[in-house]
Amino acid sequence: MVSTKRLTTIAVLVALAIVLHLFEALIPIPFPIPGVKLGLANIVTLLALVLFDSKTAFLIVILRTVLGSLLSGTLLNIAFFLSFSGAIAATCLMALLLQLAPAASFKFRFSLLGISVAGAAAHNLGQLAMAALLIKHTGIFYYLPIMLLSSVPTGFLTGLLLRELLNYLQSSGQLDDFLI
Amino acid sequence: MKRNDIILTMIIILAVIATWGCLKWHPGRAENTHCIATITQNHKLIERIDLNTVSEAREIILPGKYHEIIQVEKGRIRFKEANCPDKICVKAGWLEKPGDIAVCLPNKAVIKIED
Repeated sequence: MVSTKRLTTIAVLVALAIVLHLFEALIPIPFPIPGVKLGLANIVTLLALVLFDSKTAFLIVILRTVLGSLLSGTLLNIAFFLSFSGAIAATCLMALLLQLAPAASFKFRFSLLGISVAGAAAHNLGQLAMAALLIKHTGIFYYLPIMLLSSVPTGFLTGLLLRELLNYLQSSGQLDDFLI
Repeated sequence: MKRNDIILTMIIILAVIATWGCLKWHPGRAENTHCIATITQNHKLIERIDLNTVSEAREIILPGKYHEIIQVEKGRIRFKEANCPDKICVKAGWLEKPGDIAVCLPNKAVIKIED
């Protein structure tokens, strides 16, 4: 049976992710390129991966993309498939890197910043792969360098935000309330 | 920021440079050897022209709701004249590279150079 605490924690994180997802669309980005965004919702995905397990993170990601697009009116649009595939790709890579992180060998250890950057890059790659599948025009790959390059600063920024968030939760003693 | 994070960021930046370079110096794109233009209207193929073998300039008059003249020269093609409302097709200018495209939505006509 699913514990009430787990259910409510997941619900709060999904709500947070949806709000960030929708809020992000309101921030004007000083870039003339459509498609470049901060990826604030990725913070919640990585938070779920750090605090819980990959199963919970995938659940939150799927709920966030489906409910978020339902609220913004893009359900089953191209935009929905793009954000869905991007988010799934990002979660897969970040889960993989986090699995490697606690390993004894120093070789594969990444900090949250690095994992966040990798997640942003995977998000953009997954999105472009889906766009290429849907649009079937090779011109879409002209986006690839720009999107990959943008993933470095945006991933770095979201990683920093997450690190500060975790520090705050830890110092204020709220981290234990979160853990299921 | 750990050492591994810096390596990871470097890999991404290298990938950016590599993909950018590949797109910039794409073999087929740089030499522009084989340009095949297709003219379609209402999803039906009107004509397929190999632009490299065009010996003398000619004009094609498109049927349909609006009157449109397509001009073909060696290595390039364009909508020369149209009496459609916005004339976006004419403003697209000459098409000469693979991937170039000019569209007239009111007349449902598309000229495209195949990649």
